[in-house]
Amino acid sequence: MRTTFSSAALAVFTLAGGSLLGAARTFDGHPDLSGIWQSVGTANWNLEDHPASPGPFFQLGAIGATPSGQGVVEGGQIPYKPEALKQRNENFQNRWKLDPEIKCYMGGIPRSTYMPYPFQIVQTPTSILMDYEYASSNRVINMEKEPLEASVDTWMGTANGHWEGETLVVDNTGFNDESWFDRAGNFHSDQLHVVERFTLRDADHINYEATIEDPQVFTRPWKISLPLYRHVEKNAQLTEFKCVEFAEELLYGDVRKK
Amino acid sequence: MKALSLFLPVSLAAACVAFGQTKAPKTAWGDPDLQGVYTTDDLNGVPMERPAKFGTRRFLTEQEFAERAKQVSSERTTIDTGVRPTTGFWSIVKDAGVDAAAAPAQWIEYARHASRLSSLVVDPPDGRIPALTPEGEKRRASQPQYYNMRPASWEDLSSYDRCITRGVTGSFFPSIYGNGSQIFQMPGMVAIRYEMIHETRLIPLDGRPHAGSGLRSYMGDPRGHFEGNTLVVETTNFIGGKVDVGGVPYSDALKLTERFTRVDADTIDYKVTVDDPKTFTAPWTVEFPIRHEPGYQIFEYACHEGNHAMHNRLSAARALDKHDAANGAQEASGQK
Repeated sequence: MRTTFSSAALAVFTLAGGSLLGAARTFDGHPDLSGIWQSVGTANWNLEDHPASPGPFFQLGAIGATPSGQGVVEGGQIPYKPEALKQRNENFQNRWKLDPEIKCYMGGIPRSTYMPYPFQIVQTPTSILMDYEYASSNRVINMEKEPLEASVDTWMGTANGHWEGETLVVDNTGFNDESWFDRAGNFHSDQLHVVERFTLRDADHINYEATIEDPQVFTRPWKISLPLYRHVEKNAQLTEFKCVEFAEELLYGDVRKK
Repeated sequence: MKALSLFLPVSLAAACVAFGQTKAPKTAWGDPDLQGVYTTDDLNGVPMERPAKFGTRRFLTEQEFAERAKQVSSERTTIDTGVRPTTGFWSIVKDAGVDAAAAPAQWIEYARHASRLSSLVVDPPDGRIPALTPEGEKRRASQPQYYNMRPASWEDLSSYDRCITRGVTGSFFPSIYGNGSQIFQMPGMVAIRYEMIHETRLIPLDGRPHAGSGLRSYMGDPRGHFEGNTLVVETTNFIGGKVDVGGVPYSDALKLTERFTRVDADTIDYKVTVDDPKTFTAPWTVEFPIRHEPGYQIFEYACHEGNHAMHNRLSAARALDKHDAANGAQEASGQK
């Protein structure tokens, strides 16, 4: 699909951050973010620095363990208010029970971007579809001049986007307070406001940034940044991960006929 | 075109003839442009299979249409005043002897423009789904029942009750709510997003072969191409035996062929042929228009996340078990 584009728009764009050699443009002249993307790293385990640790079931051995990783939070630590920090630490203690990912609930934003599943961007001038393999979740970013107002709180939020030069900027509001940022209990309230920035650093990499604001939980806005990698495999496609079936015994096992 | 004129406003009918040939809008890269937000709300009240009295007649007469329009309008008024109607879909609920209060009136969508279709099934010409194969009969008889009041577990309930999926056809066929869909296009790709349980299908147009037969899914593996102004999508690689089409769980041999054709600025004609020789003795086809409705917005359907009904139903079933066991014990001790 991309090849259709690149022949039409094989130009060299130089940015402060690097060269966009070979990166494609859409018919309306914007950087083409279409494709299948995935984060590689441990942000979904913990946005902050974290050492390796054992999993909850010894039977799973190394497979069930949590890998160590460098944090993706600018400045290292999430600026929690004191009460909220206590809550986060409690969440961490109970993470194998409370993480919404265990229950196959939608990932929310920004977490869906760096969960260990690919997602696909379908870019049009008036709306951009982001389709996540995990739980068949998806969202549509409204690119019209008239912003879409969040009429109801949702897991994936209400997204309005615009271009700032080479960067797709997405403003997200209208979240419920149920999703987490990672498997380590980092959380938010329904006052969450996320501004994401997608910038192609070359044809196959996106610099992803998200500024997170939530006056109920944090003392100030904070930022994460991580790269997204394009799936370049021949005939790469999103496959299906409908995980409800894997969570039913956990969610409803207590009312199953014994 | 005579058929088309029956379900389009008369003033549009003439334009429609030309529309398909020359005026159909194109994308910047030359594909027929199908993009937009659509709904099947207007099909509310059209039965899947054609009632025998209509024979091979696909469209209602003026008088039949006036009756349908009256019913649709009365349902609309009822719903708007916050009351659940007792006609159309809701008469089925009544017949089953179950109060459907779990779905309050404000959840329900209604038709804004009554449809002239006598049924959704258009082929065979009598509008009836062909006979099942013996294997299909078996599968139909053993499928989970919506009105199962004593499920032993979630596995006794449908994939819709479980918020797993309604499959390709179930996501798109008209229902009581969540009838929205959105079509996106870019070079080499069409994406269709369904409101019903937040499904998305990503349809490559680049001629790539289907995924290997070991890679099966609920929504299948779609491949698309354009024939004139029509988008043709062939979908295979389904997981068999779990999700229904036409009231019977389809098999892993299911092949769906869908056709999307824009017939005017607000309307796309949708056609799907169901070919599943392990389930049906012949292929059959459903056809209906989907419409762009000004102001229609697709909302997030967090079905599983809010599926309190599942725990409640199972919990109620266990309470009934307990009640029966206690009564049984009482009866047993009374007989002593």
